[in-house]
Amino acid sequence: MHGIKRSRLSAQAEEAKRIKEQAKIEAYVGLQDDVLARKRSKDYTTEALKKTTDLLDLNPEFYTIWNYRRHIFLRGLFPNTNLQGIVKLLSTDLRLTMAYLQVHPKVYWIWNHRKWCLENCPDGPEGTEGWKNEFWKMELLVVEKLLDSDARNFHAWAYRRYILASLPKSYTPQRSAQDELRYTRKKIESNFSNFSAWHCRTKILAGVWEGLSEAQVQSQKDQEFELVRQALWTDPEDQSGWLYHRWLIGSQPPEPTLRRELESIKELNEAEPDSKWCLNALAHYLLLFAGSPWTETEEADNARKEAKEILRRLAEIDSDRKERYQDLGKPPQVIRAVLMILSFSTIIKLC
Amino acid sequence: MASSSTIAPKLDIDLHVKYIQNLDKKKDYTYHLTEHLRLNGVYWGLTALWIMGRQDALDREEMIKYVLSCWDEVAGTFGAHPGHDGHILGTLSGIQILIMQDAIDRVDVDRITKFLLARVAPNGSVSGDEFGESDTRFSYIMASALSLLGRLDDLDALYDGKGRDLVVQNIVDSMNFDGAFGTEPGAESHGGQVWVAVGALALLDRLHMVDNELLGWWLSERQLPNGGLNGRPEKLEDVCYSWWDLASLSIIGKIRWINGDKLINFILDAQDLEDGGIADRKGDWVDVFHTVFGVAGLSLLGYPGLQDIDPLYCMPADIIEKRGLKKPYFARPRMEQYPESS
Ligand SMILES: [Zn+2]
Repeated sequence: MHGIKRSRLSAQAEEAKRIKEQAKIEAYVGLQDDVLARKRSKDYTTEALKKTTDLLDLNPEFYTIWNYRRHIFLRGLFPNTNLQGIVKLLSTDLRLTMAYLQVHPKVYWIWNHRKWCLENCPDGPEGTEGWKNEFWKMELLVVEKLLDSDARNFHAWAYRRYILASLPKSYTPQRSAQDELRYTRKKIESNFSNFSAWHCRTKILAGVWEGLSEAQVQSQKDQEFELVRQALWTDPEDQSGWLYHRWLIGSQPPEPTLRRELESIKELNEAEPDSKWCLNALAHYLLLFAGSPWTETEEADNARKEAKEILRRLAEIDSDRKERYQDLGKPPQVIRAVLMILSFSTIIKLC
Repeated sequence: MASSSTIAPKLDIDLHVKYIQNLDKKKDYTYHLTEHLRLNGVYWGLTALWIMGRQDALDREEMIKYVLSCWDEVAGTFGAHPGHDGHILGTLSGIQILIMQDAIDRVDVDRITKFLLARVAPNGSVSGDEFGESDTRFSYIMASALSLLGRLDDLDALYDGKGRDLVVQNIVDSMNFDGAFGTEPGAESHGGQVWVAVGALALLDRLHMVDNELLGWWLSERQLPNGGLNGRPEKLEDVCYSWWDLASLSIIGKIRWINGDKLINFILDAQDLEDGGIADRKGDWVDVFHTVFGVAGLSLLGYPGLQDIDPLYCMPADIIEKRGLKKPYFARPRMEQYPESS
């Protein structure tokens, strides 16, 4: 159970609750026994389907019943109807799972069943993809609605990814990466803290950039830096923007980019001297700067010194993670020795 | 900052043992609605008891009989409860319980192995059952179950000898720029998925494919000022991440990168000190899921009086060691008392 406040009932109230629940329990167990008996006897009729709906209404997490329902379709109902009939049956299940998802947006089994419905949807009448197109159009709307009510629901993001990756060939209007960039930008601008949308953007852009020249990529990256800068200045303590910024910088940034971003973060640091995320980024980028092939020795030494000083400060203002900052300030051999001592103590303990 | 200065209550082992013993007695409506988690629940309860050194608090023979009654003859593996369909989720719990109760010889290991191997798709993704939803959670379960059964060689033999590499590649493809992992390639990083990915890679001897520094950074930033850990950036803290995130830190050798004492206090504060059990956070309803991951986290953090837990398997360390399955990890040394000095 997540996020449900504990409350204490008196013994009396507890007993009253138990008695009140008794009828509910009996009805539930009766229905469950009936459905499982039908399942055992391979009852694949409309009547059985109706019973599974009743049971799933009460408990949409009962995965065995979802399995049974699919078997009823595949072994009983689909073989006895035409394609139009199959589409009708699947539409009913899409409506059903939509109702469930509004109450239980994080139940894997419901999302799974929805996907199964799509995978079993016939293309369309007379050689078209008409039915599929209709289904997918609806799914895009549905998933965007669910993301509107919880923009971090990773089930919904996964489903959206799936819908887009499996769009029917004849789907109109055609969807492009630009549509996705617009969508994630909209999500980000309505809440900079929506890391799910930032994450999604890293995936879309990585795909887009594969086909572009270095100069084109750089100019698009600069636009992204512009976007993320707004987020960093709005709330420098929000991790989302900083993570995205680190992705944009990558492991081998061009010299002008790294210099420019270092300057920009230093500016922010002056405005917000105690911002831990700002300092953390500075330390990391200074070390990256010091290790870049184009950095002069003296500049590199200064950057390293500066980074070390920042790490020392971080160990104070963000003391929960002080050991990490201390490790980052040490040459690699020392860390290995610390780990050896640690592992040695584990071995002693085990003996 | 407040939680480290105020004194947290001690871990009330007796109360939690009683809570676990009573789980099967209160048959309210919710009890019936959660049947699909029953076999997992037995594993969670038994593991929690074991960590607290009280593994005999539940009847062994009764438990083994229950596990065997969850067998689904059609699928050739365990379901969540008698009459429920076989699924990879129940499968691992069934195996873990039988191993802890030293009774794995009472089940058809060949058939379970066959079920597990049939879950591996040609692209290396692993599904939960015949209907085929795949998720890196299932990759972990497959690896852990085969390892416990001593049948990882069968994975190697799959797909012209490429079975292991395919599974590993699928997990690595779900790694993101932040060094952490999602449910599948393309998915956002998530603490629970990090544990299954890192655990599976460690079990399959491919831990070197993880960027320890980068992932250690991401994981250490899961700790919030109140000491609790969250599962993703800008989300709320939750006791179960005291397992997912912390066990991952332990496997990659970065458990020192968070404030362990603060996390101990956060878990201790989530106890129900009237009826036992641990909740997702202070003041919420308890459940056996958060109870086991709370005490498992405390064990990795060196809380006194607890048994060692293996962060790769989430099972008692001495059982894993005895079966010759131990791999390297770093736990905090066991403390004599907590807090260490007053
Ligand atoms: Zn939780």
